[in-house]
Amino acid sequence: MATKEVKSEITGAVWKIVKQPGDLLGEEDAIMILESMKMEIPVLAECTGKLLELKVKENEPVAEGQVLAVVEV
Amino acid sequence: MSWKPEADDLAARRAFADALGGPEAIDKHHAQGRLTVRERIAGLTDAGSFQEVGKLTGKGAYVDGQLRKVVPAPYVMGLAKIDGRPVAIGGEDFTVRGGTSWGSDRRKGGQGGFVEDLAHEYRIPLVNLIDGAGGSVASATRRGYTVFPGVHGFERSVQLMAEVPVVSAVMGTAAGGPAGRAILAHWSVMVKGTSQVFAAGPPVVERSLGQKIDKEALGGAGIAVDTAGTIDNAADDEPGAFAMIRRYLSYMPRNVWELPPAVKSDDPPDRADEGLLTIVPRERRQPYNMRKLVAMIVDRDSAFEIQPTCGRAVITSLARLNGYVVGIIANNPMVNGGAMDVKAARKQAHFIQLCDTFHIPIVFLVDVPGFMVGLAAEQAATLREGMRAVYVALQATVPMLTCVIRKCYGMAGMGTTDKNGLDFKIAWPSAEWGSLPVEGGAAAAFKREIENAPDPAARLKEIEADLRKLASPLLTAEAFAVEDIIDPRETRAYLCRFVEAMQGRLATTLGPKLRAGVPP
Repeated sequence: MATKEVKSEITGAVWKIVKQPGDLLGEEDAIMILESMKMEIPVLAECTGKLLELKVKENEPVAEGQVLAVVEV
Repeated sequence: MSWKPEADDLAARRAFADALGGPEAIDKHHAQGRLTVRERIAGLTDAGSFQEVGKLTGKGAYVDGQLRKVVPAPYVMGLAKIDGRPVAIGGEDFTVRGGTSWGSDRRKGGQGGFVEDLAHEYRIPLVNLIDGAGGSVASATRRGYTVFPGVHGFERSVQLMAEVPVVSAVMGTAAGGPAGRAILAHWSVMVKGTSQVFAAGPPVVERSLGQKIDKEALGGAGIAVDTAGTIDNAADDEPGAFAMIRRYLSYMPRNVWELPPAVKSDDPPDRADEGLLTIVPRERRQPYNMRKLVAMIVDRDSAFEIQPTCGRAVITSLARLNGYVVGIIANNPMVNGGAMDVKAARKQAHFIQLCDTFHIPIVFLVDVPGFMVGLAAEQAATLREGMRAVYVALQATVPMLTCVIRKCYGMAGMGTTDKNGLDFKIAWPSAEWGSLPVEGGAAAAFKREIENAPDPAARLKEIEADLRKLASPLLTAEAFAVEDIIDPRETRAYLCRFVEAMQGRLATTLGPKLRAGVPP
């Protein structure tokens, strides 16, 4: 069983958490939605798996490259 | 009496060249997941098309006047064909002295080598297969003096950038001169895991700065391609890199005196993809997949993205419309909402100059809210790099077509139009534009009125609502201030007609592009 870190590709803030730890993820499912430059940018699962851990909370600022979640793949 | 003994001698000498640095060195090279330079040339070019030049170059060992062995020069080059079209091609042979430079009378490759002269004189593309670390301090012991930088300079390499397509492929570890040549190319590729490129490698870095870092962490694809954009694209393996080189060259003319090759397209120019009607969300805060949008418009499977992993706020792709080569510049709303940051600006500026140089018309698919804002953006000189992209666009003379998908704001928006040409702009119904977006803009422009209102927040909303009523692109079209608003499904057909119509103009303005002035 392997785990994979989901990193932010952008600088912004967490607008809404969509999935919770334990939730199953399909490919391209939105795990959370970030807000950056007045846009809602979904953070998508790269492959199917299970969300193990969220590393951020709603409204928290995030930097490019920051780990947002850990997924079991 | 025939010349058979001499012919046999030639064959023997060529066999030494084919043997490269010997079986042991080749095994070691293969064990690192790398092909030899001869395998690379064979893998990249059309079968049987390689005509090597200078195969006899090397250091011969003689006993009583009889040749016993030749250590070949560590550079293999010549003339070849890729998809039936001639190229000058060469690369270092890492199995001989690590591909370091060679003290021959005339250089085969590298700065000012024969292979560069061949590309220049015959006006054919140059492919550099780079696998060497350049000069060595040890050469001073051979010469008895140290050489001045630039004695074998980049002047020919620079000249070629205005004349013929130059492609560089970093196939091993490149530092020094070879690393410099990797950058002096219109397009470059490297191989994930087995190639690295840097100004100087780990030993020099440790000595200079005390930093201990391995070569992959210092100059692997993760840094050179994804982070820095030093190299444009990364391939999974060497054959993958060859496929990308062939693909890139398929969009390029042989030189700047010719048009890029048009092909017969089996994708109907009037194909109207229904997906275009729904791809842009009505909720303007929601982004969409611009790559999918591009794919729906251009000839099927014709898009080849340059620098896909760096400067991701803009997508730059070579593609075809009804068989004609075009350069697509499309903002990516998934990254910074499409706002232009330093890396995107640099990428866009380079791509515009590439297209302008090789007479490739540019299609802007616009969704740009402006330059990236914030402290980090200012520290990175976004304004300067952004204006450089605008400057380059305004200096280019190749025809450009502008199709506004959603946002077109500010100086970054201005840089997406053909102000020196037809200034032809079409837009989708989802388009919006102005000097800056209503949000933020209204609060600044009507500051006093809002502050003096009994309910400032309500007044701001009223002002914003009034401004939005004026924001319909159809009102701008009534004034012919935008040339057309189109059904998104019509985009491909519309663009194909104009790209076809401009071919006469393109064919009569060939040759090198001279650019005066100083970019900011």
